[in-house]
Amino acid sequence: MSVSDKAEVVVVGGGSFGTALAVILRDLGRGVRMWVRREEQADEINRERSNERYLPGRKLPEGIRATTDMKEAIRGVPVVLLVVPSKSFRSVAREVGEHLRGDQVLVHGTKGIEVETFRRMSQVLREETCALKVGVLSGPNLAGEMMAGHPAGSVVASRYDEVVRAVQRLFAGGHLRVYGGRDVVGVEVGGAFKNVIAIAAGVADGLGFGDNARSLLVTRGLSEMALLGVSMGGDVFTFGGLAGVGDLMATCASPSSRNHQVGEKIARGKSLQEVQSSSPFVAEGIPTTRAVHLRAKQKGLHLPITEAVHALLYEGKTAAEALSSLMALPVGDELSALRY
Amino acid sequence: MDHKDRERVLVEVVQRVLDAYGHEAQHLEQVIFDTIFEERKRLETEPDRDRTLKQAHQYDRVHAEALHADPVRQRELLKGLIRTFADEIVGHFDSRVYGLATRAVPHGLNLLLNAMSPIKLARSLPNGLRDMDEHLDIIGHVDTVKDLAKRGTLVMVPTHLSNLDSILMGYAIYRMGLPPHVYGAGLNLFHNKLIGFFMHNLGAYKVDRRKKAYLYKDVLKTYAGCSMEIGYHNLFFPGGTRSRSGGVERRLKLGLLGMGLNAYVHNLIAKKTKPDVFFVPVTINYELVLEAETLIEDHLKEAGKGRYIIEDDEFSRPRVILDFTKKLFSMDSRIHIVVGHPLDVFGNCVDEHGRSLDHRDRPIDRTRYVLRDGVPVFDRQRDEELTRELAHEIVKSYHANTLPKSTHVLCTAVFQWLQERSPGMDLYRLLRTGGSEESMPMAEAYDRVERTLTALRRLSAEGGVLLDDELTRLDVPGVVSHALAHLSSYHRRPAAERRGDRLFHVDRNLLLYYRNRLAGHGLERGEVLQ
Repeated sequence: MSVSDKAEVVVVGGGSFGTALAVILRDLGRGVRMWVRREEQADEINRERSNERYLPGRKLPEGIRATTDMKEAIRGVPVVLLVVPSKSFRSVAREVGEHLRGDQVLVHGTKGIEVETFRRMSQVLREETCALKVGVLSGPNLAGEMMAGHPAGSVVASRYDEVVRAVQRLFAGGHLRVYGGRDVVGVEVGGAFKNVIAIAAGVADGLGFGDNARSLLVTRGLSEMALLGVSMGGDVFTFGGLAGVGDLMATCASPSSRNHQVGEKIARGKSLQEVQSSSPFVAEGIPTTRAVHLRAKQKGLHLPITEAVHALLYEGKTAAEALSSLMALPVGDELSALRY
Repeated sequence: MDHKDRERVLVEVVQRVLDAYGHEAQHLEQVIFDTIFEERKRLETEPDRDRTLKQAHQYDRVHAEALHADPVRQRELLKGLIRTFADEIVGHFDSRVYGLATRAVPHGLNLLLNAMSPIKLARSLPNGLRDMDEHLDIIGHVDTVKDLAKRGTLVMVPTHLSNLDSILMGYAIYRMGLPPHVYGAGLNLFHNKLIGFFMHNLGAYKVDRRKKAYLYKDVLKTYAGCSMEIGYHNLFFPGGTRSRSGGVERRLKLGLLGMGLNAYVHNLIAKKTKPDVFFVPVTINYELVLEAETLIEDHLKEAGKGRYIIEDDEFSRPRVILDFTKKLFSMDSRIHIVVGHPLDVFGNCVDEHGRSLDHRDRPIDRTRYVLRDGVPVFDRQRDEELTRELAHEIVKSYHANTLPKSTHVLCTAVFQWLQERSPGMDLYRLLRTGGSEESMPMAEAYDRVERTLTALRRLSAEGGVLLDDELTRLDVPGVVSHALAHLSSYHRRPAAERRGDRLFHVDRNLLLYYRNRLAGHGLERGEVLQ
């Protein structure tokens, strides 16, 4: 199938967030291409105008052209949005790298960290493509709500003004307000780490602890996020923004968040394996917990919530045990770890 | 730079700097007065009264006139200031002198280093005039660089430890068979009449680091950029000044580095057939550094009080230079110049065909980084970031191409021992007092050196550092005695010395200085050194 030549943007990845972004952009009248891995999915998007596996019951607007041919997808498009799970991120990025040119803007929306290397996604992009104009799009963006046309906000961070402007221009006038930023590290860490806290919040909800407990987890989680982020070179202020506390609030409060669901189900007695096999969605919080746990150990960072979630997911502790271990920790000054 | 190009560059430099300041009265006035203010401040500290008086009068005149001038006249006055700076900076290249100098260099680099008579010099060296070639190893991507010299403009960017660096680089460029490079040399290099003469005629332009005016820096940068643009290979030290700590540069001067990209975009816009500018990171690795004592002392002075320009150091004393080279050569010490992988102006590796490659070795069309709507354009914010990418890659190359010597290994091992023996002690106190113990058994020194070497070998296998043949050839006691022989040969006091079966730390500042070469390589954090 030939793909539209007037495309202004290509969304690489046909998951729920990627499709939601494609829909928002198409609704704004942008020429949108999509690259998906499977031929059947491309056909479904092109012919049926649906993506049942990831967005069941939703109709996609006309004019989104999907392909499985990366060369065709990327050719001549000024902006490439890469939205694939962190697990397959590197291999897809390498494929993108085969065809990408230096004048194209490359922005990813993947909220994860590469476990083996602890690389951030933008670092993987630098390693696998020739792109220098790289950015990250992150924020409280639950796909279902975005598809329903509800207002939402996001932040696009890049060291290049050109990247920020290009993405802002694409989304201008729609219901997704895209703010600009320069702190790529902070935005990436915020987006990835909030999934760990979302699992913890899901556990608290699954145990029926209520709002006080969730709020405690979210704010202490924010502290851990900032501590980790600053240690990696992020700006502490970023975590007070959409990619930090903003994303945490949405993910930790929403029952529709995948990571929250993981925590909730485990708290109710399911095993990690059962939870993972019961859903087509990838809960990024699971590998991110592992990655952050290893990093914290290596760098000597004290991240107790991460440790509790790690104990729950990988060390066979029960939900009650993991949370009570947190309660047993000594109480210090609230912001002491962040005063530097 | 030949006479025709010199004029061409001068005109272009003056016009570009002038244009950058525009036509607005307020803007013009500000740059004129700022420049005069900075210059007057400088003149107050200049020793040469006659010359300064003349210059001061000139600035007084410009100042008085600028106060009442309209924007058109102000532009003329500014142009005058720019022209004065430009005239002073621009050197000239004389092919006859180049021929003479390059013929002389292989046998008598020392002649260039000091103005002593050749006979005296010959007598004072152990084996007469020994060939410089024996002591200088040039390794790395030499062939690629030679190929690239035909395809575009080279910009050599070496690490900087000593004033000998520019002379060695000048010689290395000759020995690699490369055309001469234009380079900015501090005024102090011109003070020695003989060196100054050669410097001036080998394409060196003068950099007066006492001039703090922005206008002056703009003229300097623009001069370098214009010379790159018309195809003159350049050399400059992106660290800006000799490393005070002894460490490998981590922060580079982005302004001058950015002129490579600037020249490249200018060339693309002008549709030149050979628009490319290639950066060549180079590390210079000495067993001993001529000015080590002065530099580390300066480094250790309270922050902000260090001197940016040092004019009364070892380099200003020919006797010391002679002594240094004599000692170094008599110990069969080798200086390694490592030529790193050439980079394009964006920091991508470039192969011998001039193609930029990504991390997966796939060719990149580099022109595209600077296109907007298909046309090459300048974009200040973008270009600053692109230059940061380049700086990042140069620093990475510096680390990977550091070639530690026995002195670095020994000082790393001893300094770590010193710190471990006095845990929590403030660095300055440790340096002053030496901590709790003044010596360690030789066996322990061997053991620690062994561990440092193991860590270095591991790091070298990962591509994090290069390993000197000497370090692989010698056994551990051999490395230690090689290092000790060097450390006790030239410096006023050795960093460490052996007495009986114990190793004593003596000049701890020097220990720190030589140890710093390996700091930042991950050895001191215990990640590699276990």
